[in-house]
Amino acid sequence: MGEKDQYKNRIELLQGTLDMLILQTLQWGPQHGYGIVQALRLRSGDVLQVETGSLYPALHRLERQDWVQSEWKQSESKQRARYYRITAKGKKQLASDLGRWERIVEAVGSVMYVKLKESES
Amino acid sequence: MKWGFGFLRRKRELQEEIDAHLQMAIADRVERGETAEKARQAASREFGNILLVQDVTRDMWGQAWLEQLGRDIGYALRQLRKSPGFTITATAMLAVAICANSTIFSWIDGTMLRPIPGARDTGDLVTLQRGERNFSPTPPFSYIDYRDLRDQNHTFAGMLAYHNDWIALTGGAQPERVYIANVSANFFNVLGIKPVLGRFFLPDEESRAVPNVILGYSLWKTRYAKDPQIVGKSIEVSRHPLTVIGVAPEGFVGAAPGLRDDLWVTLDPLGNDVWRMTHRDSDWLIVIGRLRPGVSRGQAAQDLDTVMHHLVVAYPDQHLGDNRITLDPMWRSPFGANGYMAATLPILLAFAAVVLLLTCANVATLTLVRFVSRRRELAIRQSLGANRMQLVRQMMTEGVALSSIAGGMALVLTSWTSKTFAWFFPANAAPLVLNGTMDHRVMIGIAVSSLLAGMLCGALPAWRSSHAPANEVLKAESASVSGGSRNRKLLNGLVVAQIALSLPLLLCSGLFLRTLRNLADANPGFEQDHVLTASVGLNIAGYSNDEAQLIRHKILDRVSALPGVEVAALTDWIPMTLIQKRNDAYPEGYVPRPHESLLVENAEVGPRYFESLHIPILEGREFTLNDDEKAPRVIIVDQTAARHYWPGQDPLGKRLRVWGSLHTVVGVAKNSTHTFVNESPEPMVYINYLQHPGYETMVQVKTAGNPVDMEPSVEQAIHGIDARLPVFDVRSMRESTQMASTFAVIESTLAGMFALIGLVLAVTGIYGVVAYRTQMRTHEIGIRMALGASRVDVLRLVLSQGLWLTGIGLALGLAFALGLTRIIVRLLYGIGANDPIIVVSVVMLLGAMSLAACYLPAHRAMRRNPVTAIREL
Repeated sequence: MGEKDQYKNRIELLQGTLDMLILQTLQWGPQHGYGIVQALRLRSGDVLQVETGSLYPALHRLERQDWVQSEWKQSESKQRARYYRITAKGKKQLASDLGRWERIVEAVGSVMYVKLKESES
Repeated sequence: MKWGFGFLRRKRELQEEIDAHLQMAIADRVERGETAEKARQAASREFGNILLVQDVTRDMWGQAWLEQLGRDIGYALRQLRKSPGFTITATAMLAVAICANSTIFSWIDGTMLRPIPGARDTGDLVTLQRGERNFSPTPPFSYIDYRDLRDQNHTFAGMLAYHNDWIALTGGAQPERVYIANVSANFFNVLGIKPVLGRFFLPDEESRAVPNVILGYSLWKTRYAKDPQIVGKSIEVSRHPLTVIGVAPEGFVGAAPGLRDDLWVTLDPLGNDVWRMTHRDSDWLIVIGRLRPGVSRGQAAQDLDTVMHHLVVAYPDQHLGDNRITLDPMWRSPFGANGYMAATLPILLAFAAVVLLLTCANVATLTLVRFVSRRRELAIRQSLGANRMQLVRQMMTEGVALSSIAGGMALVLTSWTSKTFAWFFPANAAPLVLNGTMDHRVMIGIAVSSLLAGMLCGALPAWRSSHAPANEVLKAESASVSGGSRNRKLLNGLVVAQIALSLPLLLCSGLFLRTLRNLADANPGFEQDHVLTASVGLNIAGYSNDEAQLIRHKILDRVSALPGVEVAALTDWIPMTLIQKRNDAYPEGYVPRPHESLLVENAEVGPRYFESLHIPILEGREFTLNDDEKAPRVIIVDQTAARHYWPGQDPLGKRLRVWGSLHTVVGVAKNSTHTFVNESPEPMVYINYLQHPGYETMVQVKTAGNPVDMEPSVEQAIHGIDARLPVFDVRSMRESTQMASTFAVIESTLAGMFALIGLVLAVTGIYGVVAYRTQMRTHEIGIRMALGASRVDVLRLVLSQGLWLTGIGLALGLAFALGLTRIIVRLLYGIGANDPIIVVSVVMLLGAMSLAACYLPAHRAMRRNPVTAIREL
């Protein structure tokens, strides 16, 4: 149970951000879970390592909210896998997530900027 | 698991998804040059704890709403626990109202919806009626006509025929009366019944004299101790040996709804009923058909009409009168008990539904009043982020939680009340098996009605809560007087609805109770007190005709000689027991109108019959002992028959052909009730028992004292002639004729109970609202009194709003009631559906009770000390 709770906390911390990242990844085309992990790692220059214990719950939650759809397909390497595709609703969500993200970055940035300035002077 | 069937599939898919992930990770690593074994290890290390990943992922599947529901229910139960007074009152009221519905429904379920227990697809079965539609017809078909209809139609998958009767099982120490049916060979086949032992009848046994018998399950169990070797054994039925060839399955009791058969034989098992097997004018069979798939009742009736028309053309003399065929589904089949059920039970169910509606309105009032005191709590929840949807759901959940508990209680109650239906039926000669059933249909009914009730109770407060702006509520809390104008309107509406719904219940119960009294007071035209009847099973015990005749005379002699007996007479029929006999009668010189039925009610009665019942002979004379087998055939008709056959003429000396011989009318009896006090008079022909011994032998005794006291001595006198004589149905005329008012008793009992519940609910409803509102206005009233308003002013203030609501409720209720009474008009006797006295007294009763309910809080308000009242908020 303890380990499970740990996961839960991490999901909650990441929630919103991870959702946004997944939706953004799917913007480039349908992808399976393994593919999403790889894409995030590559794009972030090996900085973002998404844990499977966060990824799969997030994917299934996104599907329940109708932000993504899934279907079983063959990959290029003939491996049957579950592919997720972003829906119109998901795209809307992504846009609003992005807006919020930008505001937070701006807000946090301006706080940090002021602080930095203060400490400098 | 908590997720149901889709869960397993999704679990498998998740496993597959994770497998695919690992396979792809391994493939990537192998591509980069790792060994297969190392790649597998690294990939699974990287992936982490698979089981845990599965577990947290599964948490995402639809658990959210379940958790939400769980939280809502928990919250609802906590809230209900917080106010036990409200919870107990509301639950009890809902439980009673749901139980009222489920009880009546269980009676419908046990009778109309289960017309032939054990039979397959009873919805495809229809009963055939011939000629004028009748509420309680006699068996309409002869054997040969039945065979032609069965073999020449194109719309039925099968068609069976039966004839109910009773007979004595002899061979034991005492003969035992059992109920038997003569059935066509395909009887069990058409119904879809399989034997538990042996076999049923074969087609070639149908019209031959084959002394075979099939036992009913309960007879096999009680009399033959479930003997597994019973098939092939011989049993004695009215002193004839019959061979048992099979045993019917448990629960199956024959094809007449509500009546029990104990055993079944073919149409003429002993070969002594050749007449009725070979004559087209001997109508003795009841016919049930199973429609072919896709055939409607209308098409089938048309098809049978065509066949019947050919028969009428070919044999006109055997088919006088109206021969149109009508079909009824089994739930309202006029043969058996369902015709009566269909006329009574659905109306009672409608009443019960009104009670439930009324209860919902009452509980909604309580919830609403409670809701006002909870507004602060709800407003805080709302400002803390609960959206309206959540609040609405919350209120609905509370309503449903309440009604679910009530539904559970109703379920327990109904399992008992469903069996009380049989209590209504007095002891009688018919093998009635009428009772309610508690099965899945009743449970679904309870679930649906409690769910609906819960939604109704919760919907109004929920609707209110979604409209209450949170900040206003929080701000205006101290100043709120009666919860805003919208709230007031809703409460007013609910009070008006309760009064309007209870008025029709009261009116109908008043009409039913009056009907019951009128029936009891009505003069049926014959003596009911000081008369005792006893049946002697001469016909069923296997005596020869001569023996039987001798025994009858002995019975008359012995019983007449008993001290306390004034007159004794023979008859084969007791009036007002729902039993009717009809026969074709052809008056000499009478030209029937086209399609006129010549069937006429008849009874075989012996000398002094009319004297024993105090029925006056208006012209001519009664039968005497001299009118025996050797004397000329004589007959007595009642006034209606005399007027019908010989209008404006002297009926005495006229002749009537019955059963192939001419009878001379020697007397005209005064009309008396045949079946129901409220029947329209039908012609009645009394046949002389001595010249045509009736099928039944009943001794009718006029006693000096209480007839019940004479029961043992009459029974002893008969057994003194032959101890083996079966004697049964020994009871007073008063008890026998109760059968005719059974349905009036059922109607008035239930309508009375429902009306009482309705009255209590309506009065407590208006009391609750007026009291609550007066309490809310304590402060205002205090100010008014301080400013000089007198106590009478206060009284008027409080009373006027209550009376205003009562007035509107009564007006609406009256309109509703006058519409509703139209559906019960057929069930009333001696009173109009809109009887002014009943209407006025019901309105006065409800008005007076409401006035009292409003007066109590008004009185309290008037007595308040203005100073303390002002201080109170």
